[in-house]
Amino acid sequence: MTLRSYVVSRVLLTIPMILLLLTIVFVIVRILPGDPVLVHFEKQATPAMIEEFRRELGLDKPLAQQYLDYLLGLLHGDLGKSMADFSSVGQQIFSAFPATLELSIYSMAIAVLLGVFLGARASRSYNSIEDHSIRIYGIASYAIPVFFLGMIFQLIFGIWLHLFPTGGRISLGMEPSGLTAGDFHLSTGLYTVDSLLEGNLSEFVEALRYLFLPSLTLGMVLSGIFVRLTRSNMIETLRLDFVTAARARGLSERAVLYGYALRNAFLPILTMMGLQFAALLAGAILTETTFSWPGLGRYLVDRIAFRDYTAIQGAIVFFGLLVALVSLVVDILYAYFDPRIRL
Amino acid sequence: MRGRIVVQFLPRLASLRKRGLAGWITIIGLVMVTGVVLMTLSAPWISPHDPNEIALGPVLGPPSWSFPLGTNNMGQDMLSRLIWGGSNMLQVALLAVIVCVTVGVPVGLLCSFAGGLVDKSSSLVMDSIYAFPGLVLAIAISAMLGPGVVNMALSIAVVYVPSYYRIVRSQVLSIKELPYVEAARTIGARGRSTLLRYILPNVLPSIVAVATMNFADAILTAAGLTFVGLGLPISTPDWGWDLTYGRRLLPSGIWWVIAFPGLMIVILALGFALAGEGLSELLNPKLEQ
Amino acid sequence: MILIVISGLGGYFVGVSTVPPGGEKTITLTETVTASPYKDTVIMGTTDSVQSSIDPSDAYDFFGWTVIQNTGSPLIDITPGSPAGPKDLAPALAESWSVSSDGLTWTFNLRKGVMSGDGVEFTADDVKYSFERGMKIANPDGAVVGIGYDAIIGSVEAVSKYQVNFNLKFACGFFGQLMAAAPSYIVNPRYAPMQYFRINYTDGNARASSPMDFGPYTLTSWTRVGGKDQEMKFDANPLYWNAAAGYPKTKHLVLRFYSDATTLRLAIEAGEVDLAYRQLGSTDIQSLQQKAQLKVWQGPSQFIQYLVFQQNIKPLDNPAVRRAIAASIDRKPITDVVFLGQATPLYSMIPNGMAYHSDVFKKLGDANYTYAKTELAALGYSETKKLVLDLWYESSGHYESSPDIANVLKSSLEKSGVIQVNLHGVDWPTYRNNMRAESMALFVLGWYPDYVDPDNYLYPFVNSKASWLHSNYNSPLMDSMTEEQRATADPQKRTQLMASIQDLLVEDSPIVPLFQKSNWAISKQNVGGVVLDISMIFRYYLLFATK
Repeated sequence: MTLRSYVVSRVLLTIPMILLLLTIVFVIVRILPGDPVLVHFEKQATPAMIEEFRRELGLDKPLAQQYLDYLLGLLHGDLGKSMADFSSVGQQIFSAFPATLELSIYSMAIAVLLGVFLGARASRSYNSIEDHSIRIYGIASYAIPVFFLGMIFQLIFGIWLHLFPTGGRISLGMEPSGLTAGDFHLSTGLYTVDSLLEGNLSEFVEALRYLFLPSLTLGMVLSGIFVRLTRSNMIETLRLDFVTAARARGLSERAVLYGYALRNAFLPILTMMGLQFAALLAGAILTETTFSWPGLGRYLVDRIAFRDYTAIQGAIVFFGLLVALVSLVVDILYAYFDPRIRL
Repeated sequence: MRGRIVVQFLPRLASLRKRGLAGWITIIGLVMVTGVVLMTLSAPWISPHDPNEIALGPVLGPPSWSFPLGTNNMGQDMLSRLIWGGSNMLQVALLAVIVCVTVGVPVGLLCSFAGGLVDKSSSLVMDSIYAFPGLVLAIAISAMLGPGVVNMALSIAVVYVPSYYRIVRSQVLSIKELPYVEAARTIGARGRSTLLRYILPNVLPSIVAVATMNFADAILTAAGLTFVGLGLPISTPDWGWDLTYGRRLLPSGIWWVIAFPGLMIVILALGFALAGEGLSELLNPKLEQ
Repeated sequence: MILIVISGLGGYFVGVSTVPPGGEKTITLTETVTASPYKDTVIMGTTDSVQSSIDPSDAYDFFGWTVIQNTGSPLIDITPGSPAGPKDLAPALAESWSVSSDGLTWTFNLRKGVMSGDGVEFTADDVKYSFERGMKIANPDGAVVGIGYDAIIGSVEAVSKYQVNFNLKFACGFFGQLMAAAPSYIVNPRYAPMQYFRINYTDGNARASSPMDFGPYTLTSWTRVGGKDQEMKFDANPLYWNAAAGYPKTKHLVLRFYSDATTLRLAIEAGEVDLAYRQLGSTDIQSLQQKAQLKVWQGPSQFIQYLVFQQNIKPLDNPAVRRAIAASIDRKPITDVVFLGQATPLYSMIPNGMAYHSDVFKKLGDANYTYAKTELAALGYSETKKLVLDLWYESSGHYESSPDIANVLKSSLEKSGVIQVNLHGVDWPTYRNNMRAESMALFVLGWYPDYVDPDNYLYPFVNSKASWLHSNYNSPLMDSMTEEQRATADPQKRTQLMASIQDLLVEDSPIVPLFQKSNWAISKQNVGGVVLDISMIFRYYLLFATK
């Protein structure tokens, strides 16, 4: 199969999955107990008021019609109106998303780098104390609740040692605004990128300072699986004949390790990154709450307290689409690198 | 057909100790879990004070001789709260695992054995749920259902059913093709007895391994749900609740309210995770030690 | 450099002692240059946020009111720092006012020459429009309906360009205080069209997000990220009617919204904000009091919390049962343990420090288990046959420390030995829903005054027609007494009525007052003008930070 036909077939497979997810979310929000509209009125609401509210949100139409409207709306990128103030949910999500994206990128980077480094070391000193302790770390990092680890870091590095800030994304007035050249304006929403675009080094450093603890927390919790993956992968590779041949040719241990073994582990790690993306998002919710990070995770948690069903639905759908997109991209990349999988 | 299960399982259990690290970590994990469970079960006898009694000690007192783990903002003894605090979490985890197993395993067996459209469509549904960030789904369902032990267990169970489904399905698919199953079919064994006699016993060890990891996940998810405010009513002491509430005390340098409950959650989850890791490596050895 | 010289010369020529550094203003020799000892910008932090809008016809939350009261003006204001009695009313947009002898007509003489932000003079028509709008829109969730303006005001007439008459339905003794409340603030009609249910937040357009005008500040920026308030910016309004007196004291205010008390506490501790107000936890307040670089401000608060009985659920329809439960409550752990002494026990629905207050619930006492046991024994309850109660609390942080308070209530009621309490925590929207559905047997609520008068602590609770509690308390005697006290002009009669009302309150115990909380703010040492008085109006325009 060519790459192109693989991509096409993969995309086609994703569509029913997404449709299924959307339907599940629609059902959950509409069918489960509790009338979302009534919950929004504090005192006596006149029937006229309630009807008006329902109409504004499109809840007065028959269920099937609502479902179709919902799907059509999604095709246009319309995620509905927030029940709190009728503003666009899509717009709210887009304003909150860059924060989560930035956190995710840095956390994943730390997870992979930390995991690969430790996994490689463990594979080198196979069956030693170092190996065993790294393996234990691999399991233990998974078992610690991410928000507990976050709180410990806040306590040690923020409150006792005063080294890093314990909450928020950046201090007042230091938000980078990106590149502005005359009428042209470019900003990614990622503070580390925008500050560099702006050329403001102090803002860049500040953004990193605020990013450090949250991404370290989330990164550490995710790193466990990469440790185990790298380790097992490299141990297997190191036994293969061609490696023995390379060693026989006199290549240094390091060249053997990083040249061949690590390169072989690359694809599984890439796949794992895709698989872990869902776990990353889940962890991001808790991390954002712990560090008051103004991202999509915290948005979801806030909206739940508000009983803002359209927003909750919109956020979940967005998460789902994101996961589907990432796994699609990872699968395609994998197929690109390893033609065998396309068969 | 008990003999088959015993024949398959016992030698593996006995070889635990011979299996090096995998064996050791399984034992350590099980010991940790058993320790916590015993502590929780014996709470009425070993707890030094009533965990709910207000103003028993000084408000926010640091660890001292009279209160070894300190007191919280209501003057309650943290040690007593620690001893009692696992009960909610263990109940939720147990219930979640039971629901998962009773739903996931039969569905997995039946659907994958049936094959064809049933298999493909149930796979699609399960894969969709599996791929989705678990906590998000659990949060959504929990928010809709409301507080309560059963509701929390259900929210967690929904998220983890696909794991069982997948493992069962992969086992079924491989075993389905094995010669002796084919043979059994040719001599007239019906589908159901094939399932029960041949397939289920072979699938059981994997289910045990998944269930153990499931416990760990359930505990962490329950803690996570409590943290975002979807926890249980606070009349019973609960580690998740202490952890959530204690967060606001950190800036005042009060570390003992979160440290010990958090540590207990780690021990419990780690115990299950170690046992799960060990078991899955024993039952499906990947590497030659 | 040249500007400094010019400003120096300017200062010299008009005899000013200090010269502002920097000299960005262009100075002419005829202008009076007053060197301000205050900083231009003060940064505030809060965990509050706008609950629905900053529209006087709609907003019914503390913070919404604060913004309204700082970006708008009422006819009458309450003198800052005063006990907010009828003698403490000060002219604002009304220069003077008079009441007819029968108390049914209030005439206000308006200030002349007050200009709105869009260049139109303030007249009686604006007043008429503001009040009619509030009452016509009749937003059932809004303050105007919630307080019952239409039960008090019959009609509003613009008698002439600068004179307004309010024709009341009864001789309302606290009408003056009502005119100083946020829903009575005057809107700019051009930014408050009648057909809109309320003026909502509009992204990127602060002017379109608010109908307010004529106030000490103008809202110049309001940003939300992900649906959450991030920041508000206020600039001094040069057209403010009291600008000549030097208000507001600070030219620019930045208000930063923090997601929770912990982050706010860290912010003020780190000096990220100059002032932190609402809400800081008791532990944080106590620990920050030790910090030398911070100043702690404390003021009397009119915020109270009380327990409500749903009388549709048996046996709560029996006053003896309710009294027994009330007597078993121990307020001390709430005030001393939960709030670390930052709250005081409350023994009447009228708060301490307010007129007519009397500690009537002391008759039932705290942790009075002998009384409770006797009363309940007569109804058949004992250690073996306990009275089982469902106590509900809100768990989403709408009130501070609700779960802890619920825990204390449970523990103190169960100490009687004859009561068993099951706790239920639900989030605020569900809590409100349950209130309307009348499904909660016992529940705790909080209250801020709408206007500073004891009527506001009685009428909306125990008068069966006005009550918002859905508690099904129906006492014709209480109804007639509460109606009489709000319409009587005779101070002696009112005192008598208030005493009888409070006695009946204990007798019937439809609700049980629990505690009253102080008001706290924390600031840097150089901040001043933080006035935390009984009116609970947080006046931004008094704030300043010295250089």
